[in-house]
Amino acid sequence: MPDSTTRLVFIGMLREEWRLHSRLFGGVRFALFPLIVFGLVTGAVWLLTYVETAIETILLGIHLLVFLFGLHTGSVGFIGRDALRNLLGDLTLLVFSARTLPISRRRLLGVFIMKDLLYYAGLFLLPVALGVAPIWLLEGGSIAEIAWLWMTLLGMFALGIVSTLTLIGLAGRGLPRALIAGAIIALIAAAWYLEIDPIGLTAYGAFIEPSAPAVLVPVGVIVVLGVIATVSFTVESHRVERRTQPRYRRWFGYIGDPIATKTLLDVDRSSGGFAKVLFSGAILFGVTAALVEFAGEVTGIEPSVELAYGMILGLTGFTTYNWLTQSDDIEGYLFHPLDVASVYRAKLRAFFIIGPVVALVFYTIGVLWQGGSLLSALTGAILTVGVTAYVFGVTIYLAGISPNEFLFDSLLFTLFAGAMMVALVPLLVIAFAVSPLGVEVLAAVGLGGVLLFALGLLAFNRAVDRWSQLHLG
Amino acid sequence: MAAIDIEAVTKRFGDIVALDDLSLRVDTGELYGLLGPNGAGKTTLMGVLTGQVRPDSGSLAVLGTDPIADPIEVRRRVGILPERESPPSFLTPREYFQFIGTVRDLDDDQVDALTATWARRFGFEGKLDVLATDLSRGQQQQVMIAAAFFHTPQAVFIDEPLTNLDPIVQERLKRFFVRYQAEGRTVVLSTHNVEVAAEICTKVGIIHEGRLLTEIEPATLDTDASLVDVFTEHIDTTLDWEELDA
Repeated sequence: MPDSTTRLVFIGMLREEWRLHSRLFGGVRFALFPLIVFGLVTGAVWLLTYVETAIETILLGIHLLVFLFGLHTGSVGFIGRDALRNLLGDLTLLVFSARTLPISRRRLLGVFIMKDLLYYAGLFLLPVALGVAPIWLLEGGSIAEIAWLWMTLLGMFALGIVSTLTLIGLAGRGLPRALIAGAIIALIAAAWYLEIDPIGLTAYGAFIEPSAPAVLVPVGVIVVLGVIATVSFTVESHRVERRTQPRYRRWFGYIGDPIATKTLLDVDRSSGGFAKVLFSGAILFGVTAALVEFAGEVTGIEPSVELAYGMILGLTGFTTYNWLTQSDDIEGYLFHPLDVASVYRAKLRAFFIIGPVVALVFYTIGVLWQGGSLLSALTGAILTVGVTAYVFGVTIYLAGISPNEFLFDSLLFTLFAGAMMVALVPLLVIAFAVSPLGVEVLAAVGLGGVLLFALGLLAFNRAVDRWSQLHLG
Repeated sequence: MAAIDIEAVTKRFGDIVALDDLSLRVDTGELYGLLGPNGAGKTTLMGVLTGQVRPDSGSLAVLGTDPIADPIEVRRRVGILPERESPPSFLTPREYFQFIGTVRDLDDDQVDALTATWARRFGFEGKLDVLATDLSRGQQQQVMIAAAFFHTPQAVFIDEPLTNLDPIVQERLKRFFVRYQAEGRTVVLSTHNVEVAAEICTKVGIIHEGRLLTEIEPATLDTDASLVDVFTEHIDTTLDWEELDA
């Protein structure tokens, strides 16, 4: 049983989370967020089943996405207090109060994880599970299975959080990253050699085959990782002075813009370095590879490898935006002789230096691996760059150069999701439901890529005007 | 000659009136103290003067330029130390000064010389290649002060500059501000520290609830009177000191 202090901190953290979000977005707009999630999931599930995607495939995808979201949520530990201040302004959270409250850092982190689990279970995972319900019930499923789905989604989310925090904790304890990466690869290799089904280690295994062992194993994995995370994690880990060779002047010589130069140095020197940009691309690459591999088996139609990779890897525009904007805010520039427009243009320049390149690198790997014709490969490449620019332009129009926390605002989230769906759903249908693709279709897709690129730039230009007005108040 | 001229400026944030029909004039070569309690409107006024906040009404000029019409030109000619900013987390102090050099069109040799001067002045030569996020709060503040004065501007706006600094650095800085002003440049110091304002400012404007209540030249005060008395007389009329002491 938790003692009274733990209970008090737990309630305090719940209240803090609510106030933080409701103050950022307005209480009603934040409170509507679960309804928006429910609506979007219902619509997406209906659409995917309409194009004859098996419900089992959809549920696998949802479990995977929730796991990825858990990984992302746990990454709050990556950034520490300084970066959190950059993201959200001058604030102090209870999780950082180990030095001022008579409660240990480990217990604070443990309570923080429990709070996040409860919070997201109610506001995010429940609407996701309920969003699946209409189609699930129509296909003969039961309400009890939806409740079970909610629980297994919670399990995947928890696995994501504790995985990230464990990695951060171990890295923060001074374990070399190469050693950690090597250990992960060794574990995967051992699992493969011993023919251990990785799905059985996750809550998704318990969803597709409910049984006592299927539940106990993933719970055990989460508990073990959770213990390692809380023992190893340090909330403010780096009090050591990090020295570095000056690189600003040299990079400025190549890039030619002071803010773009600073932005790329931020990416390089913040936790994870440029590897985190590649990691984001690798996750989308993995998702695409799995979809391309299995979609044909499920739907009976061979998907277009190039279009699938182009469209999905184009979403790196969003993750790259995130990495380029997480370490600063506009106020940090406006006491220099700089205006809002120059800051935004620098962000665009930084984006074009790394964004499309990362997407195209993974695109090339995917196409070389899973293949296609030269014409469709070129079309897919155009689409990749077009979608990347579109996603970046729309995101920066809606959220400025503030973090994607703003997408927890129900209005912004709806606008963002709507803008993505309008552009990407037709491409999704072409990529996974039309085969083979004729020259005319490829030409249309290529033109679509160019159009998306232009729309992205248009959204960006509108963003500059919009945010210039907003920032001056 | 006026370095700063403000005429009937008003700025509201929703229901809050941050500046209320405020007029003010600061002459060239003055070390002007904006003195007021927390929330008096000092930081908003600094924002308006440097083109970072657009007023709802009124007119103003800084070094002869209108910060509403041409904020970049104003910021090019002045130096600014904001209250709550710290140097970019993932640049070192050396790189931050290089960043300022490129933003302000200073040549590399000039930047290197100024970097060495400011590092020596504060004694952070050994910290020039440390990431700013790993510096102490006091060291970060020193870097920000150096950045505000880096290009030797004709007017400087400094908001609570002595926060987080040890007494020796505070003393050196106060002398530096006085010397800087004595060389014919204008310094506007926003603070709620009455003693500091009394010690170094040539003129002090007391601001409360967005209005300029009075202006005092500390040097002309009688020996019996202090700026603290004047300040409390204007600001703290509602406080019951006996009750607070109890």
